[in-house]
Amino acid sequence: MTARAVSCPNCGGTLEVRAAGYSVNLACRYCGSLLDVSRPEVALIEAHRRAMQGLFLPLGTRGTLFDVEWEAIGALRRKAGLYTWDEYLLFNPYAGYRWLVLSDGAWQFGTMLLDLPDGDDDTVAWRGARYTRDGTAEKTRTTAVVGEFYWRVREGDTVDALSFERGDTVLSREGGGGEVNWTQLIPVSGDTITEAFGRVSREPRRRAPRAFKIAEPEREADDLPAMLGLACAALVLLLLVMVFVSGPVERASGTVAAPFGSTREGVKIGTISVRRPWQFVKVTADAGDFDNRWVDLDYSLVDRTTGQSIDAYGIVEHYSGRDSDGSWTEGSRSGTTLLGKVPRGTYDLYVDAAAHAWPSDPPPDTSGWSLAETITVSINVETGALPWGNWWTAAVLLFLFPGTVIWQRLRNRHWP
Amino acid sequence: MTDCPSCGAPLPVRSAAMPYATCANCQSLVMREGLAAQDMGKVAVLPVDVSPIQLGTTLHVEDMVLQVVGRVRWGWTDGSWNEWLLEGGDGVERWLGEAMGAFMLTAARPDLLDRPMLHGFAAGGEIAVGTRLDIEGVSLVAIDCKEAQCLGSEGDLPFPTLSGRTMTSIDFRGPNREAVSLQRDDRGASAWLGYYSALGALMPRNLRAVDGWTIPRELAQ
Repeated sequence: MTARAVSCPNCGGTLEVRAAGYSVNLACRYCGSLLDVSRPEVALIEAHRRAMQGLFLPLGTRGTLFDVEWEAIGALRRKAGLYTWDEYLLFNPYAGYRWLVLSDGAWQFGTMLLDLPDGDDDTVAWRGARYTRDGTAEKTRTTAVVGEFYWRVREGDTVDALSFERGDTVLSREGGGGEVNWTQLIPVSGDTITEAFGRVSREPRRRAPRAFKIAEPEREADDLPAMLGLACAALVLLLLVMVFVSGPVERASGTVAAPFGSTREGVKIGTISVRRPWQFVKVTADAGDFDNRWVDLDYSLVDRTTGQSIDAYGIVEHYSGRDSDGSWTEGSRSGTTLLGKVPRGTYDLYVDAAAHAWPSDPPPDTSGWSLAETITVSINVETGALPWGNWWTAAVLLFLFPGTVIWQRLRNRHWP
Repeated sequence: MTDCPSCGAPLPVRSAAMPYATCANCQSLVMREGLAAQDMGKVAVLPVDVSPIQLGTTLHVEDMVLQVVGRVRWGWTDGSWNEWLLEGGDGVERWLGEAMGAFMLTAARPDLLDRPMLHGFAAGGEIAVGTRLDIEGVSLVAIDCKEAQCLGSEGDLPFPTLSGRTMTSIDFRGPNREAVSLQRDDRGASAWLGYYSALGALMPRNLRAVDGWTIPRELAQ
């Protein structure tokens, strides 16, 4: 018996202390409460209702990385600015601790340094090599915690973090609470992680899948037509509701000449009124013949009474060329933008337009006299649009289950 | 070989120099005086841990074989750690500190206490985190200061480890893993010089088999 079993004083869940003797803190995997496990008697530090969700590596998962077997024993979700990432604490009683950092789908393997880098805030020297600062100092905040740790960690902890880079290797310096820690981080490929820890899922505590009732074909035969009928009826009903909700149609149109190298701002297209409590508004852009060009369109639907603006973005683009596979074309010279939930009122549509050439904009005209090239885009705005995307999504979802059943049945024919 | 005066179990002598031993059978702290053995009271049972070190583990460092003969577990407000007593046969007291999966190997350096800065510490003064200490051309920084309590012990030891025993411990760290540890308890102050190390670099043998884990090949023998 190596793992020490304890029960959470908050929720009563049974927990294992995997690094018994080293671990100080344990965040309950069931309720997220923080426990003190540094002494024989377990004490509640802070009660919580919710454990950290969506762990890529469920705690207790083992894998071999760099010839050493590791067990994931703790996980932190951390945040700096708008960035959020996960850090997993790995443990092996013979090798100590390591970190696995999952940020933006990329993995890094972290080792705490015992020999400290020497230098200032711009460059540091470590093991004879120079590392230069990457980015600025940031406050890193721990937003969720689960599992066990060798120091007192808690939700809301902040440290000042600064990183130094040399090639792929990062030295990360974290300071806080009168202590400075250095970690060396090296990249690890996602394939290596999958190979080491197996196919781990984003939802470790998924319920066991309900068994398909393949053994009862008659019952399925009864259910299937009803299911399909219900799905069709629901789609028709949804369409009727959409048409009813979309309300009366009002249109306005105009054109805008988009210049290259600058933005034509605030071109008024027209005025429309939304007569229902809210409606969809559709903006369509159509441009004449052009190639290897695109036009960025920024729409502002401005309420005449309040002056408040609803903003949206549109694009028309068309490219063509020739490569080893023959000639190709890409993009569309027209584009549709749907604005959802526009409240009742009278609106003016304004558009800012800027044209660009691919692969690069034409050089600015040096003579200063000739007229600059523009792309003319006609803009059409109308209320009462139908959100077809939503309808198709509903259609896919409604037919997903009956479709799966049909597919299962076809497949089972091969397995008499 | 003496027997435990409390329960009669044999008490193996791992280090002849050490005056105290903890009986593995009944947790009595036994003081050896010549051939006599005296029961000093019970020590706390060591809490469960997954340390790879055990009594009898050997380390092979700088042409020396150091054998683990005793252990004291210390607790402080934010955690606990092990101090393993090492016997090298040369009369120098050495300890292997074990915390956070890393190890600190130190040997007694009583001469360091002659430094003026350490006089104050020996007299009960404090040393702030961040204080620098220059030793043999290396500049070390105080990284933490702890008040620790004895949580339990096993094996042979140089001092009594009854519960309630407390000490002050200050760790200094250098740029290249150098370590200095200062300790102060009711016996006085002591200074320890050494370095931080990963376990593998100490070439350990006879490690404890931790249930559910394989001893890495290079450490197994």
